Amino acid sequence: MTRATIERLGDAALVVRSPLARALLTDLTTRPLPGVREAVPALEVLTVLYDPLEVGADTLTASLRERLGGLVPGEEEKTRTHVLPVTFDGPDLGWCADHAELGLEDFVGTLCATPLTVAFLGFTPGFAFLTGLPERLRMPRLSAPRERVPAGSVALGGPWAGVYPRETPGGWRLVGRTDAVLFDPWRPEPVLWRAGDRVRFEVRP
Amino acid sequence: MEVRRPGLQTTVQDAGRRVRALGVPGGGAADPLALRLANALVSNPPGAAALEVTLAGPALHFHADALVALCGASFAATLDEAPFPLWRAVPVRAGQTLEIGGTARGARAILAVRGGLEGQEAFGSRSTDLRTGFGGLEGRALRAGDRLTWASLPPVTAPRAFLSPELRTPTGPHHVLRVLLTPEATPDLLATLTGRSFTVSGQTDRMGARLSEVVPAPHDPNRVSLPNVPGAVQLPPDGRPILLLPDAGTHGGYATPLVVASVDLPRLGQLRPGDRVWLRGVSLEEARGALRQQEQEVREAELALRWWYKEA
Repeated sequence: MTRATIERLGDAALVVRSPLARALLTDLTTRPLPGVREAVPALEVLTVLYDPLEVGADTLTASLRERLGGLVPGEEEKTRTHVLPVTFDGPDLGWCADHAELGLEDFVGTLCATPLTVAFLGFTPGFAFLTGLPERLRMPRLSAPRERVPAGSVALGGPWAGVYPRETPGGWRLVGRTDAVLFDPWRPEPVLWRAGDRVRFEVRP
Repeated sequence: MEVRRPGLQTTVQDAGRRVRALGVPGGGAADPLALRLANALVSNPPGAAALEVTLAGPALHFHADALVALCGASFAATLDEAPFPLWRAVPVRAGQTLEIGGTARGARAILAVRGGLEGQEAFGSRSTDLRTGFGGLEGRALRAGDRLTWASLPPVTAPRAFLSPELRTPTGPHHVLRVLLTPEATPDLLATLTGRSFTVSGQTDRMGARLSEVVPAPHDPNRVSLPNVPGAVQLPPDGRPILLLPDAGTHGGYATPLVVASVDLPRLGQLRPGDRVWLRGVSLEEARGALRQQEQEVREAELALRWWYKEA
């Protein structure tokens, strides 16, 4: 049996918490449920936005439970691997290396050797929450966010790694930068990565 | 249509997009009812792209005949210096200038043009996303000198109908917003949030409306980022609640004890700095009933107008 809770979020959304959240998203994309406007993933969470004029919360909850019951764990979309060349010269690099009790080179080496996974997308178009950091690379967020983080900044914050697709405010520690274009609304697939994709940083020669 | 004066923040908006799963905000008209009604008045599909004006409107010089409708807050407007009525379809001749001024109540209005505005489409919508800079007119607000085009259709006679004032999204200065509780609404938090009024602060834009007063906020640094929904009432650590509008980020890490009922979402688009807001808890059934009633009234107006255009 799968553990799943389904809670209401206002009168037009349900929050499904289940290890099968991502499989449920795939399922809803291929076989849409009536009244569902869109489904938005987070870590082991799927928020289902619906039209309350078309479907009631109880009916939709029952349909979602039924769908979850038919899903098999581990049944996921084919994932890809992205290797991002990074110049490690971020303003917080030294601080992070000290915090990890590593020399600069070892810190960069450890980070590049870490296989990361796109947990989910969000915050700003193209931003991905990358999971998989070992304990020693997890950095406390800044106490006051920077007003401007340059586009392409590679950053660490709490359990996450991430790359800022464009200049925004941000509270994570900046360790480097990349030229990878994470979001371009005019290419066939506007966002570089999808949830579940693997990511690795490498030192730009 | 040529922009002579851009106004405070005039953008192309339609019914918005549904790609939050890619981290792209929903976007779309902040007062979606005004968009639907303005489009119905000029015989456009309900979600056709139109101009959204904010607090101080633009001056627009027309180089072609058009049929337009202005719906939303009660902006003062003139066509070649003669009073221009809101809430009805008005023919504009080539060479005329429509000046939309300010409004004493509310914040936004929609100017629909028969045929629907053209503009950059991204993820199935022409809505302008100001933060990332795509959609509409190069992803930005109008500037003087810009030109906007629309699909040209055979001329029609404008319906002589005004829409019932009952259909208008209420504008300030006092708002009672119906809210639904989430599992994060502790009894203490609920009492603080619903037992008093709040002031809409100057930090109010298409992403959200910040309230001025401070309430004790729960601090949970381990709360993970979760998907946002329209109308979510977020409580950041500084204790000043934020009501989320269409351009809000797709995910957020702040506590969300309340969500504004769907029926009152258009009202969020009319919040103006200085307005007073009361949050009133309602049941799911009440929220759904009120939404059904509103939808029925709007659909009747849309049907009546469609019938008029078919018969005319």
